[in-house]
Amino acid sequence: MTELLKSLRTWPWHIVAPVLLFVAVAVLAPWLTPYDPAAQDYMSILQGPSWAHWLGTDYLGRDLLSRIIGGARVSLTAMSIVLLAALILGVVVGSLAGYIGGRFEVVMISAIDIFLALPSLVIALALIGIMGPGYWSMIVALTLAWWANYARMSRAVVVAELRQPYIEAARIMGANHLHIFSRHILPSVLALVVVYASADAGALVLAIATLSFLGLGVEPPTPEWGQMLVDGMGYLEDNPALVILPGLALTLVVVSFNLLGEAFALSKVPRPARGLTLSRRRRDRAKEEAARAQVEARP
Amino acid sequence: MSILVLKRAAIAALLVIAASVLTFALVAAAPGNVAALIAERMAGPNASAELIARIAADLGLNDPLPVRYLRWLGDAVRGDFGISLRSGKPLSVEFAERVPVTALLLFGGGLIAFALSLGLGIAGAISNGGPVDNVLRTISLVGASTPNFFVAAVLVITFAVTLNWLPSFGGSGPLSWILPWATSSVLPASILSRVVRVNLQDAMSRPYATTGFAKGLTRSGVILQEALPTIAVPFLTTFGAQFALMMVASMVVETVFALRGIGAFFIEVIRFRDFISMQAILLLFVVFFVVTNLVVDIVCMLIDPRIRKAAGA
Repeated sequence: MTELLKSLRTWPWHIVAPVLLFVAVAVLAPWLTPYDPAAQDYMSILQGPSWAHWLGTDYLGRDLLSRIIGGARVSLTAMSIVLLAALILGVVVGSLAGYIGGRFEVVMISAIDIFLALPSLVIALALIGIMGPGYWSMIVALTLAWWANYARMSRAVVVAELRQPYIEAARIMGANHLHIFSRHILPSVLALVVVYASADAGALVLAIATLSFLGLGVEPPTPEWGQMLVDGMGYLEDNPALVILPGLALTLVVVSFNLLGEAFALSKVPRPARGLTLSRRRRDRAKEEAARAQVEARP
Repeated sequence: MSILVLKRAAIAALLVIAASVLTFALVAAAPGNVAALIAERMAGPNASAELIARIAADLGLNDPLPVRYLRWLGDAVRGDFGISLRSGKPLSVEFAERVPVTALLLFGGGLIAFALSLGLGIAGAISNGGPVDNVLRTISLVGASTPNFFVAAVLVITFAVTLNWLPSFGGSGPLSWILPWATSSVLPASILSRVVRVNLQDAMSRPYATTGFAKGLTRSGVILQEALPTIAVPFLTTFGAQFALMMVASMVVETVFALRGIGAFFIEVIRFRDFISMQAILLLFVVFFVVTNLVVDIVCMLIDPRIRKAAGA
């Protein structure tokens, strides 16, 4: 983690800035929106840009600018919840599998492999189908669709760390499992997994928008870009901006996150991971990542 | 070689079986009773307990899980997937109507992505840092990050609403296929052209490229004659993965363009909570993913003797 902070000075700010802008807009949304994003106004339906409504209004007279800004907040919130939950679940399951070992590890690895074998969106859709559509089903489904990769990485780091002499030294000095894990292993796990998780943010924003577009995610009247887009599809001839602007906002955010993820992945390539035995695997992954431009962009 | 293929096929079959167990377990573990759901569809929210019990007995829902699983799988293998709660038609009939639509979408889009990515990737490698390369790199980055439903929307706005050249819905003649194909090919073409570009770059620093230059070939000559054949394996592997993901994308593309394919059907049955159809479609998806993977693996083994050797032929 400290390594990450130290590299702050060398960060490519032209890549970080768009992401920060998105986060700032999302956080400050309640103060930035000129109108309540859900407020309907039947006197001004499907209007073009004006001084009252800078970007115009939709078919219920809702202010488009307010809805786009509000949509940023909804996207960021949902994405952060899923990312955090998937991260915790993945790190806990992966670390336990690696630390406990034995039959438990074998079972957990099989579970992880099955989850990784299917496209995340298919897993998420199957789970939503079972739980029924809705905001929290989407959150749970995406978490379960996303945790496996973090679990796999966590397990690999734990297994590699357990072979280190300082673990043995700690054990000889009488440190208990909790101490060994939290002081010596967890920091290495987090250092790797957090970086990869940040690279997944773009794909997650996209997945949330896709599910909402399909009517299986964020529900109206909450403003969400994917759902605004599908709403606007019915009014293409009246006001194509209803479709184009949310789509552009979404694309820009995904591009920004993907560029950030790519920068992270590439900056991780040459640095040998403090003698971790997994470095070859990590290098292979990074290479693979660079090759497909990290923009796996799960549709 | 044939033993190797058989081995891979056996692994694939095991994977399908494992996934079918998972699919079955997932739906069996669903909260709420399937029989109650069906009764609700038939008789409204006040369905009698009697009706629920009769439906459960008819569907064999009272049998132990392993029995139900084997019966379901046995029927599925024989082409009987049950009756869709959504449409009331047998799923085999639904599949017979819908699989060709999705297949046409995937093959058309896949073909475009294949040709486009090779062309653009090679053009980028020949330009090598020149303006063409830079433009192509930007296009592929944007193409890989743009949501497919937004791509569809932009294409519809441009070619259907504004220019009025093409229909904005599928399923009405050959012209109506152009926009769905274009939409589904943008993402794979973007990612694949990057793969072509990066691997060609890598190949240009290899000794065989130097040999090509020594023989007096130009840069494009070396790329086409010496470098291009060597990227076949990474290209095909990525193509396979992207082709499988096109199936996922088909859910969005078919929904947007009102195509009556498997992807749109999956979304419909999820909204309707039609577990019987969901189960069958998931099984179909898994088979598709596994078979795609298998085909790519076998083709790679056929074209690259090193992979055969590594796999122990």
